[in-house]
Amino acid sequence: MSSLEAVVLHASVVAVGWVFVVVVAARLLPIEQVWRIAAYGVPVAFLAVAVAWALARPRPMRLMRTADLRLGLKERLSTAWERRLAGGPLDAALRRDALEHAARVRLSAAYPFGMRRGEALLAAALAVAAIGLVLLPNPMDQVLTQRRADHSAQTRAAATIAAAQKKLAAASSPAPVDPQVQKILQDTQAKVAAAPDPRAALQNITPAEQQLLQLSDPQTPARVSSAQNLANALASTTTGSATSQAINASPAKGAQAVRSLASQLQSLTPQQKAELAKALAQAAQQSQDPAMAASLQQASSALASGDAAAAATALNQVASQLDSLQQQVSNDQEIAAAINGLEAARQQLAAQADRDAGQTPAASGSPASGSGSGGAPPSGGGNGNGNGSGNGNGNGNGSGNGGSGGTGGQGSSGSGSGQGSGAQGTERIYVPAPASSGQPDTEPPPLGPGQDVPLTPYSQVIQAYQQAALDAADQSLIPGSEQDLIRAYFSSLGEPVSKQ
Amino acid sequence: MIAEEPRLDGAQVTDLARALETELARLIVGQKELVRDTVISLIAGGHMLLEGVPGLGKTVLVRSLGQALTLSFARIQFTPDLMPADIVGTNVIREEKGRREFQYQAGPLFANLVLADEINRATPKTQSALLEAMQERTVTVGTETRALPTPFFVLATQNPIELEGTYPLPEAQLDRFFFKALVKFPSEEELLEIARRTTGNALPQLKPVADANAILAAQQVAREVPIAEHVLVYAGKLIAATHPDRTGVDNVKRYVRFGASPRGLQTLVLAGKVRALLDGRYNVAFDDVVAVARPALRHRIFLQFEAEADEVTSDQLIDEIVEKTDKAKAAG
Repeated sequence: MSSLEAVVLHASVVAVGWVFVVVVAARLLPIEQVWRIAAYGVPVAFLAVAVAWALARPRPMRLMRTADLRLGLKERLSTAWERRLAGGPLDAALRRDALEHAARVRLSAAYPFGMRRGEALLAAALAVAAIGLVLLPNPMDQVLTQRRADHSAQTRAAATIAAAQKKLAAASSPAPVDPQVQKILQDTQAKVAAAPDPRAALQNITPAEQQLLQLSDPQTPARVSSAQNLANALASTTTGSATSQAINASPAKGAQAVRSLASQLQSLTPQQKAELAKALAQAAQQSQDPAMAASLQQASSALASGDAAAAATALNQVASQLDSLQQQVSNDQEIAAAINGLEAARQQLAAQADRDAGQTPAASGSPASGSGSGGAPPSGGGNGNGNGSGNGNGNGNGSGNGGSGGTGGQGSSGSGSGQGSGAQGTERIYVPAPASSGQPDTEPPPLGPGQDVPLTPYSQVIQAYQQAALDAADQSLIPGSEQDLIRAYFSSLGEPVSKQ
Repeated sequence: MIAEEPRLDGAQVTDLARALETELARLIVGQKELVRDTVISLIAGGHMLLEGVPGLGKTVLVRSLGQALTLSFARIQFTPDLMPADIVGTNVIREEKGRREFQYQAGPLFANLVLADEINRATPKTQSALLEAMQERTVTVGTETRALPTPFFVLATQNPIELEGTYPLPEAQLDRFFFKALVKFPSEEELLEIARRTTGNALPQLKPVADANAILAAQQVAREVPIAEHVLVYAGKLIAATHPDRTGVDNVKRYVRFGASPRGLQTLVLAGKVRALLDGRYNVAFDDVVAVARPALRHRIFLQFEAEADEVTSDQLIDEIVEKTDKAKAAG
């Protein structure tokens, strides 16, 4: 009994000591599930003390000797124990005598249980200290909260990428680049989930987007423009209006309509052929795709010379080019959808990274941390709507079809490179801070009637503007490649970049 | 045919010893330690050397022991002219029916209790005549060896102060004594009691409490008392500690010339067994070994001259050895 109490006391001291150590460690290091760790230590402490006691406990003979000495039994117990199996003439009397004398004394007197004052004080001090530390606010709680939020944000971002991946995989007619897109999204999802923090996770987004952009064909805008010009040219003819509508609907339908037109050439009147040849010649002139331009010109020439068979062959080539264009458009649409998914993940990660850095959103006037790339590939062949998406000041490098094209052949607005970004509600727009620090941030006085906006020479503001932009680029989560773009932009303005 | 000795149990031996002590106490005033050592030595079957000045009751003790045990008693006064034949006996010529022949005339050694009074006054030659008797319990005269009666118990006395004309006992002779007891001078109260008891008309008459057979049976029972291994080891450590080349006690290294012999260990164990029985126990305790250490070892430790110069006695060294030999540690 005394031994049991001693074991319990020692184990209690060890357990309280363990809890104290865990609580102290939790104030120095961010430890998840600190209470679970502390709770697990308690039974382990008891078990360890019990095992130590079992290993270190004295043998029966030593116990007997100790009892003899402490109880004044004059070696009766130890001798009787040693000769417990002996059958000498006096052994029976010895055992009887030993038992009689042992019965008269209290064994607890041989092994008294004394609460060691030092041990008890140590246990109490540890317990009080542990409770005190638990009650005081723990600076590591904030770190843990941030870490959990980081993990949650990364999980959400990875889930967003996974959702985009699933959506693309569920498409009825996958694009030819679908396997590569799926692979890129899957790799990015894994890297985002495994990144140590949102900032590191963000660094995986831009390379993935660049990989996706490399999958798109840069000639697609030119071909889309050429197809649109063909549709516009055919719209004014009597025989090609249906074909024009089909091309506007989609390149695939357009290809089918062009083949149909080719098969009908023999039955056209000479006037219709001439009208059609003229429209084809006009389309050939406007086409930015040399192959399509050549085919259209060949068809136009054949029709003009009355060679309907050669014209049909040339139109069939045009139809094949439209089929190819349809595949390219599908690729770009899938790439755009994938980039949209990555951008959504970027939004989530960037927001959490900003919170981690203790930064406020750009709307508060601090240097913006706008990030993102407006690298959406142009799509919408025939619609003329670039749908590149970007965030903040992202410099889109995609080229889209000019938006004024519209439908129905309104004009012939040329295609050109454009900023592939469309401002959305969640985007942060960079607002430069005042150029010189220390000046009060006050509203300028309103202009009166007839007053013109006061102008400041370019040379006086460009350097401050440049400096603010570069500072913002350095402090934000803008990837290095895009910071280079910002520097390159200011270099292109003819001013030296002061900060490398 | 050898007659079977009566069998005693441990309790009977205890009763016998206590009865003997009680009976001797009727005549011997005080000297409880001396009486206890004498009884232990008797039941252990050993011989005893008593050292003390004259008039302390050494002779009375031995004679009383003989009366209380109904044993034959012989007293030999050792003097320088005492010859060996005077104690072991000799062959004398006798004429019987006109024929002369040698006939052995037994000496006083042929008794159960032999008092060798002032043994250090005899010459070494005579002293050595006791060697065979004490160790082998036989006497050889001429070519014939004769057994001494059993039990055979020699109590020798010597005077420590009258050293003129004495022959100190050699080491071999001393080693054969089971115990060496120092007879202390009685206290003032004991002196008065001695005067009261011995100056009246009648002296107390002792009644026998045991005979030779009972003593032999008790000796057999005493040897059956168990001793635990760790107690035996402790006794061995004590013996080892008396040797200057094995001890950890500095004074032993400095003052002791030779330590105790194996007979010393036998004496410690055997005396411990008897003492345990006298205490009503059936096992040897550390206390038993410690209690008999002085009488068992004091004559087996031979001191250097420096000890005598520094007035260091064997008893002091034995006490120091006992104090510095930890029981629990010695027993492992």
